[in-house]
Amino acid sequence: MNRTGTGFSLYRMVTKQKAFIFIVVMLVGMLFAGTEFYTAYNLLDMLNSTSILLILSFGVTMTIISGGCDLSIGGILVVSGILAIKLQAVMPMGLAILFAIAFGVAVGFVNGFLVVHQRTEPFIITLGMGLLLTGVAQQLTNAHPVPATNPEFMMIGNGSVLGVPNLVIIMALCFAASFWLMRYTQFGRNLYAIGGDYDVARYSGINVVRTKWLAFVISGGAAGLAGVLLSSKLNTGSAIYGELTALVVNCGVVVGGTSFAGGIGGIPQSALGLLVFGMLDNVMNMLRITSYYQILLKGAVIVAIIWLDCFAQKRRREFV
Amino acid sequence: MEAAGSDVILSIKEVSKSFPGVKALEKVSLDVQRGTVHGIVGENGAGKSTLMKILSGVYQKDAGTIVFDGQAVEHTTPHQSMQSGLAIIYQELNLVNTMSVGENVFLGRFKEMKGMRGTHAKARELLDSIGCKVSTYRLVSALSVSEKQMVEIAKALSFQSKLIIMDEPSSSLTAEEMCELVKIINQLRERGISIIYISHKLDEIFDFCDIVTVMRDGHVIDTKAKSEFTRNELITKMVGRAIENEYPPRPQKVGGVLMEVRSINTHKLHDISFKLHKGEILGLVGLVGAGRTEIVRAIFGADRVRGHEVLIDGAQVSVRSPRNAKNAGIGFIPEDRKLQGLVLPFSVESNISMASIDRFTKFGFIRDSLEKGIGERQVKALAVKTPSVKVPVGNLSGGNQQKCIVGRWLEIAPRIFIMDEPTKGIDVGAKYEIYMLMRLIAEDGGAIILISSELPEVLNMSNRVLTVFEGRITGEFNPESTPVNDIMTAALGLSGGCE
Amino acid sequence: MSSYGSRSALAVVGAVLRDYLVLAMIAALAAITAMVEPKFMSAANMVNIMRQFGPLIMVSLGMTFVIIGGFIDLSVAGTINLVAVVTISLIQPMGQVPALVTGLAIGAACGALNSAVILSSGALTQAEALFLTFGMSTVYSAFALLYSHGSTMHFWDIKTSKSIFESIGGGTVGPLSVSFAIFLVVLALLWVFQSKTKEGREICLTGGNKTAAALAGVRIKRAIVVIYTIGGFMAAVGAIVLFSRITTAAPVIGAGYETNAILAVVVGGTTLKGGKGSVLRTVMGVLLVILMSNCLNLLGVSTYLQVAVKGAILVFAIWLDNRKQA
Repeated sequence: MNRTGTGFSLYRMVTKQKAFIFIVVMLVGMLFAGTEFYTAYNLLDMLNSTSILLILSFGVTMTIISGGCDLSIGGILVVSGILAIKLQAVMPMGLAILFAIAFGVAVGFVNGFLVVHQRTEPFIITLGMGLLLTGVAQQLTNAHPVPATNPEFMMIGNGSVLGVPNLVIIMALCFAASFWLMRYTQFGRNLYAIGGDYDVARYSGINVVRTKWLAFVISGGAAGLAGVLLSSKLNTGSAIYGELTALVVNCGVVVGGTSFAGGIGGIPQSALGLLVFGMLDNVMNMLRITSYYQILLKGAVIVAIIWLDCFAQKRRREFV
Repeated sequence: MEAAGSDVILSIKEVSKSFPGVKALEKVSLDVQRGTVHGIVGENGAGKSTLMKILSGVYQKDAGTIVFDGQAVEHTTPHQSMQSGLAIIYQELNLVNTMSVGENVFLGRFKEMKGMRGTHAKARELLDSIGCKVSTYRLVSALSVSEKQMVEIAKALSFQSKLIIMDEPSSSLTAEEMCELVKIINQLRERGISIIYISHKLDEIFDFCDIVTVMRDGHVIDTKAKSEFTRNELITKMVGRAIENEYPPRPQKVGGVLMEVRSINTHKLHDISFKLHKGEILGLVGLVGAGRTEIVRAIFGADRVRGHEVLIDGAQVSVRSPRNAKNAGIGFIPEDRKLQGLVLPFSVESNISMASIDRFTKFGFIRDSLEKGIGERQVKALAVKTPSVKVPVGNLSGGNQQKCIVGRWLEIAPRIFIMDEPTKGIDVGAKYEIYMLMRLIAEDGGAIILISSELPEVLNMSNRVLTVFEGRITGEFNPESTPVNDIMTAALGLSGGCE
Repeated sequence: MSSYGSRSALAVVGAVLRDYLVLAMIAALAAITAMVEPKFMSAANMVNIMRQFGPLIMVSLGMTFVIIGGFIDLSVAGTINLVAVVTISLIQPMGQVPALVTGLAIGAACGALNSAVILSSGALTQAEALFLTFGMSTVYSAFALLYSHGSTMHFWDIKTSKSIFESIGGGTVGPLSVSFAIFLVVLALLWVFQSKTKEGREICLTGGNKTAAALAGVRIKRAIVVIYTIGGFMAAVGAIVLFSRITTAAPVIGAGYETNAILAVVVGGTTLKGGKGSVLRTVMGVLLVILMSNCLNLLGVSTYLQVAVKGAILVFAIWLDNRKQA
């Protein structure tokens, strides 16, 4: 059975997906841990907590597959979350939310300009952009979290429909949309081509600039949406969630099987990768690991993931 | 004389193209008849690739007209030319390795093909039409070169191409795969598709081309039906001068064994062992991908290879890293001078002195005067054309850049010199200078391992030739006394022609 | 190290402008500040500026080496955190000098560990190094938190002599402050190392083209270990100067230093692509960053907006750097 590398194959997932292995290890480990891990409530809660990261990952996946990456999502996340709350003072909630998401789209547009049009190294420039936005966020809040006062707004992130949390529903919709985009549309296939070989894609008549640019715009928009949802869930707009988030999401995408080299991976793979981190957080809480150790473990996991990704590529590279 | 318009599928008139400092094409004119296989022969630098790139839209011509299928064309992108029915299959192959065969055939046309199902179905049809059995779901990265070429042909067919240009397709094909390709070419001809076949291998040209154009130094020398050419005439017109003046005489003072290599084994190479003598130029002949570069990289310590032995003057030396090899007296001129050989933004001086850092430092500190001395010495000795040793080496021409790399190694005078494609992309004058240099090195008692894809070069420069095929050494020959065909047979793995 | 070569006059002007654009911008900012706020030119302000030099310049000098070598180091924040809390806690039990030495050793060890992680994974690109070192920063920060139990230690908690640190923090030797004197010595050593030694040249070559350098016999693995060890060591020096100055060490003391250091290096003119650069340029870069903060402070711009401005300058400087190299 020789399935295409850009499709979804159980066989390939098991043998190559580090995500799968990590998850299985955790699942098995938790069988013996005697905690409340295996309850419907906890599993749903875990999915709920990870939803926002998952939404971020869908956009980021597109940028990574096309050969770039987006480290500004943390900054976009916090600013749009703050905007969503603050703007409600001067406009109806729906408009405020739209504005916040539009902000994300605008930042994505600028990122696309810098990376695609100006051909700047994406890792560094989106990192810089993220920092810029974190500063903006701090300025907007004066380092004090901004509380949300609109109960309707809070319902978005905290409510549920028929027992399924709103966040999970929204995430599922985003998942479906992204999955469809990447697998069944010209745009998605072009992203794979661009990431696989930029010049070949260009020679084949694909508008590489516009396509790759669009990937950044989508990533920014997704981050904007995630920001709105996060501030709704926490009932505050705060500047503190930015920095680690970007790294965690990008690493999660990588652990799911999307390499920074571009051209391979996909939405389901990334989702699995992010679930590793979501599950890790949940597992660490269940095991009552103290917060400092959690930070240590998370850092170690990030290093391990990237290390493994590099190591796997090492064999294909020259020695010098 | 031009035939009636409808019989000529492609008419090139007085096309010229210049690059800074180089006139690549000078008033080139030729016609391709519909339904023929039109061969274009010429040496490296004759202008064949430039002409093809203009046809396919990668370059823009400076002057002249091109009429394709009755219409004047000014292709500005490769995609445009594909759509108008003119396809080109490059030597380097234009495929996305991480995607499947089917998607590659219809790259960028996903919507037209109505998604994955349509893409793969139609790709299957096209591949079947040329007798290729590769599954459309396989990743291109898993394919052999021959299979990749067939995917490219299928891609060309998907555009209903009326003219397919093949640029040096045979450099990595085995004899068997070459037969397959010839079969396909004949099939395409029967379907009314015209083919331009670019090569510098005369046997292929005489085998299946109908009409042949000879190019040299950017000019079209002659265009005739194949039957009207003799082999010698073709060679003379290709080369333009008596061959004797092209290469210096071979080194004469071949002595005892200088280096012995034993048992190089990697996933690509199988039990490579051979000897190298003082004063000898040893040529490695084989297809692209046969393993020649892997062999020399293993000797130089550039790849993570263990388990082999290298003996110099009878004593085993460690070659676990390039540094080791350098200390053992081995020098290495890599295949790609820009990516592997030079630091382009750095000065000529720094690039030349790179391998001799120990020589211009005392107690760990750099002596500028000593470094400058090294740079100037080599520039002078090799006649490198540069305004000064301080300019970035990226400003120099290809030939002069290569000389810098040679100079880098000459400075430390290795006894064994490995040269991987030393004259690639270099003009004729500079080539001769490098050949003379090689001879001098050999006459001084050193030894050279030469890898080159230009058969005349390897055969004329080497005292002895090893043929490499699929990771094995398949033969050892004296190029002075052995017929070329025997050597090529050993390099291609099988004898003789196709059914 | 840039040569304008043989270009048209307009091209040369354009190139000069690009090379010094950020310098020009900040000079303009300084001029504006001087006009609006006369306090800018006062002696007290100058001293203030000089005092801020210490921690950032040390970290930036170390970062310069990593970037010249073609890599990047996001772990300095974590290293600073760890070195600060460990060193300050050891002054009393071990004595000043052993504590100092231990702190420096930890910094170097963190750097060496970074290089080990990078080399063992086979990571060769700046992007991979970015992620790996960031992960290491988190690990080091976690260690700092665990070691200190999240608490901050102060000088007044220390009952034994801490005179060395106090003089680093505020003392003078002759007309210069101690930290400035240390800076001059360190700068001289690093400059000589970078431009005049074999090791320094090998680092430049590694950053210029790893493959070519390796094939010419340059010891690139050793160069990578050296650049990160220097980076870690200088981060430790920076940490010590920092907590000596503010007389406290919190486990989050190093936050933000990596981005400021990168900013200083890039603004100073060392290219992120590696191979070329100079510690002297970084000094200018740090000066510009500090000057910018100073001006913005005097003009009444809030600290948070300053962070945003710095981010914007970083983005701008990277973009500019990219255009220069194209």
